[in-house]
Amino acid sequence: MTPHKTTNGQDPNESANRRSAEPLLPILEAPSTRRTVLKTVGAALGLAAFGEALSPLMVVPENMSIDEFLQQHYKELSDDDKQRIFSRLEAETKERFGAEVKIVDPKPIPGVRFGYAINVSKCNGNGKCMEACNRENNHHRGVDQSYIRVLEMSKGSMDMEHGSTTFDHTVPQDDKFYMPVQCQQCDNPPCVSACPIEATWKEDDGIVVVDYNWCIGCRYCEAACPYHARRFNWEPPEIPAGEVNPNQGYLSNRIRPQGAMEKCHFCLHRTREGRAPACQEACPTGARVFGDLNDPDSDINYVLKNKRVFVLKEELGTKPSFFYYFDS
Amino acid sequence: MLGWPRRLPALLLIGLLLPCAIVVIFTAAMNLQETDHYAAIVQSGNPSGVDSISSGQQLSGQSSTLRHTVEIRRPTGPPRVITTLKDASGEFVTVACSTCHTTRPPNHQNKSVRELDEFHSGMAFSHGTVSCLSCHNSEDYDSLKLADGAPVEFTSVMTLCGQCHGPQLKDYQHGAHGGMNGYWDLTRGPQQKNNCVDCHDPHSPQFPHMKPVFKPRDRFLEQSGTEH
Amino acid sequence: MANSRTDAVRSYPGFLWWGLGQATNGGLSFYVWMFVLTAISLVGANAWAHQVAEGMILTNMTDHVSWGLYIANFTFCVGLAAGGVMMVIPAYLYDDEDMHKVVIIGEAVAIAAIVMCTLSVMVDLGRPDRFWHLIPVIGRVNWPVSMLTWDVIVLNGYLLINLHIVGYLLYMRYLGRKPNPRWYVPFVFLSILWAISIHTVTAFLYCGLGGRPFWNTALLAPRFLASAFVSGPAFIILVMRILRITTGYSAPPGPARTLIQIIRVSMTINLIMLASELFTLFYTGGAHSASAKYLFFGSHGHFGLVPWIWTAIVCNLVGTALFFMPNALERGSIRIVACVLCIVGIWIEKGMGLIIPGFIPSTLHEIVEYTPSLVEWKVTAGIWAFGFLLLTVLLKLIATVFASEKSGTALERVSE
Repeated sequence: MTPHKTTNGQDPNESANRRSAEPLLPILEAPSTRRTVLKTVGAALGLAAFGEALSPLMVVPENMSIDEFLQQHYKELSDDDKQRIFSRLEAETKERFGAEVKIVDPKPIPGVRFGYAINVSKCNGNGKCMEACNRENNHHRGVDQSYIRVLEMSKGSMDMEHGSTTFDHTVPQDDKFYMPVQCQQCDNPPCVSACPIEATWKEDDGIVVVDYNWCIGCRYCEAACPYHARRFNWEPPEIPAGEVNPNQGYLSNRIRPQGAMEKCHFCLHRTREGRAPACQEACPTGARVFGDLNDPDSDINYVLKNKRVFVLKEELGTKPSFFYYFDS
Repeated sequence: MLGWPRRLPALLLIGLLLPCAIVVIFTAAMNLQETDHYAAIVQSGNPSGVDSISSGQQLSGQSSTLRHTVEIRRPTGPPRVITTLKDASGEFVTVACSTCHTTRPPNHQNKSVRELDEFHSGMAFSHGTVSCLSCHNSEDYDSLKLADGAPVEFTSVMTLCGQCHGPQLKDYQHGAHGGMNGYWDLTRGPQQKNNCVDCHDPHSPQFPHMKPVFKPRDRFLEQSGTEH
Repeated sequence: MANSRTDAVRSYPGFLWWGLGQATNGGLSFYVWMFVLTAISLVGANAWAHQVAEGMILTNMTDHVSWGLYIANFTFCVGLAAGGVMMVIPAYLYDDEDMHKVVIIGEAVAIAAIVMCTLSVMVDLGRPDRFWHLIPVIGRVNWPVSMLTWDVIVLNGYLLINLHIVGYLLYMRYLGRKPNPRWYVPFVFLSILWAISIHTVTAFLYCGLGGRPFWNTALLAPRFLASAFVSGPAFIILVMRILRITTGYSAPPGPARTLIQIIRVSMTINLIMLASELFTLFYTGGAHSASAKYLFFGSHGHFGLVPWIWTAIVCNLVGTALFFMPNALERGSIRIVACVLCIVGIWIEKGMGLIIPGFIPSTLHEIVEYTPSLVEWKVTAGIWAFGFLLLTVLLKLIATVFASEKSGTALERVSE
């Protein structure tokens, strides 16, 4: 696009070039004009530079097998596939973290739908639930990740704008109440609707899970979630070998890959075997109540029927399976 | 081509509305398929089967299927007072409450720590307006007593506390107070629960203040302390 | 001459190869321009490679602000792509002869912009190696529920439609034949519908999220369209000016005037809608206005986006005022300044001024600020450089085809 060249419509050199190239494809004719040679050299240099620019990517194939690359969506895996994948993941964990782990895939208990409630009159914001979550779920120790955030709220206000998560004074403060927020396992989950590839879905027992090996990391679900419940693996997780929890679920607390999304899964590797979630066991105030919503005699149903229960951001129509209540 | 200008608004409208309409129709269809679990939760059953904990030790479900037990931790027994004397092995000698109290007249009016001395000094007492002998048994200091005067063992403290703290006891019986460990599903395994004095000092029952133990460290989130 | 070439090259791939050869011919300044763009693209590619290898931690995005410069830039590029169609509407719907001649420039801009969109989404993925999960049939797409799936489908569809139109028109001219309307007019109308859809769907991507009150407004899609109909034509005016400077050809004033009329109307509508939005937010107040308050005035001691948005407001207002000056209809620097101001203003308004404040404060009302990291700037610059590279090649190809078809007069059609 230099000036002058096209003032007469055509540059003499250029039309000469083309005429020589006319009989057939110019490259096949190999007219070997100076320009063509220069272009070829330029293209070669450009390609070389491109390869060099992308060279940091060479670590990716080193860390990933063909099997992993081609792995199908969780719902399309046969039992054999799963066994093979679990063994591969166990071997990788051994290699990367030096820990012997066992990966299982417990299924939802038929007829059970989980619900969770927190007594905001009791919770005092001590943070033991966050710590238990971090340990149980093999969270990245570098950032002390946890699926739970505890909000310190002003009494007399439900406005989170006056809340804080960074408090570090003695708790509870007289004029505050404390509200842990984690995945609400919505019945109408915005994150599941958002996911472009069905990498996250709601299971029969109400738990919203993520296939960490299917997620492409677009983070649309994180934008869609009204409860700040989702976490992204911004960097490869680090966990000392001695701290790795060896009892792992494929859809729950196995060590997550870099670049994938994760979230609270109600400790399904525990709860689907009848055990309490880690955060409930850790709570020293007894503020947490967990159970089966379908069982009329369950603890959680007692709370729903006898307490003043509310859900967060009810107006959004997400229908959480996570409740908050006051004692009096 | 003459008619096209007039069709322009129509084209624009179609371009705008078509995706909207398709999305609305599909999502509406999806929503119709969903069963309304919410209604189901709210209507299901009624709060029946309040487990009895009359003995204060074990709860067992009343359903016919095999259920594991709910184990409630119990206090070890009557408290003993640590003296300043040491025994042959170097341990401090402890004595039972009754060692002293059998020889002393009970003071039924006492409601504050100020009037206590000896082994009780330094004790914090902040438990409403009850007096010491509302719960301590002046007939036998190695046991407690209920409101009707009937003695009750230290190990059955829950029965005692439940006299006044009925709502808490009721919540406790339904897992909404006191927390739990173990299995939420008693058909699969047992559950362990605290008793009152595991968490509450009976003389000053307010749950103690704590220091937060753990915080996720978020990039760029100012750890300013409180208000932002 | 045309006939001889018709005999020589019959295959479409052959035409493309020939076109590539021609499009990479030029003088010294052309090669310098291409070299600089290539270099910037490579810097971007390198930054992206590091990001993939070492993790998205190299960006300054967080769990609080989970989308940043990439998606902001994506949003603007979708608008640019949709704006390319502004040339097409008057040309085909109103049979504007002058516009017919420059339509193909708009299409070229649309193609380059769509490629930039796709790249912007690619670099935002945490796992680009799993990109195939997004491809229908072999992957597992959440259609029709997920707006992102819709977006992927309509963006790629738009790219294919425009590639077909541009490719077909150029190929026919190259062969010396008259394009058969049956093979491109239906696609032109489809592309008009499609252009509106891509921006509508992109707006739905954000405004469908109930948890983000700042985005959750029905006005978002109309605002996107209005601003796209400013940035697209403004960009095309700039491209035509650059063509005039570099090729020395002066265009007839008609098309540019039509575009400026479009800009005047669209920008006014855009500003009215922005004002309505702000009125609702600030007059009502409450939690819904938290993001807007942070964006315009800062809140709780955080002012990260305040300079951005006021720059955008000033750019938009001054740009609009300039467009309304009578001189803007004449050739001169006024319309160029106005175009640049409006493009910058809208880039900020739709990007840093819309995507980022949607996350601040977070859904739990925590305030975590966001400033793009160097890696993000490099990658974004690389995407823009690649877009310009593509646009240059396309324009060069168009110029060559038009010039060779009927030497002299044909080139005018392109460079106008």
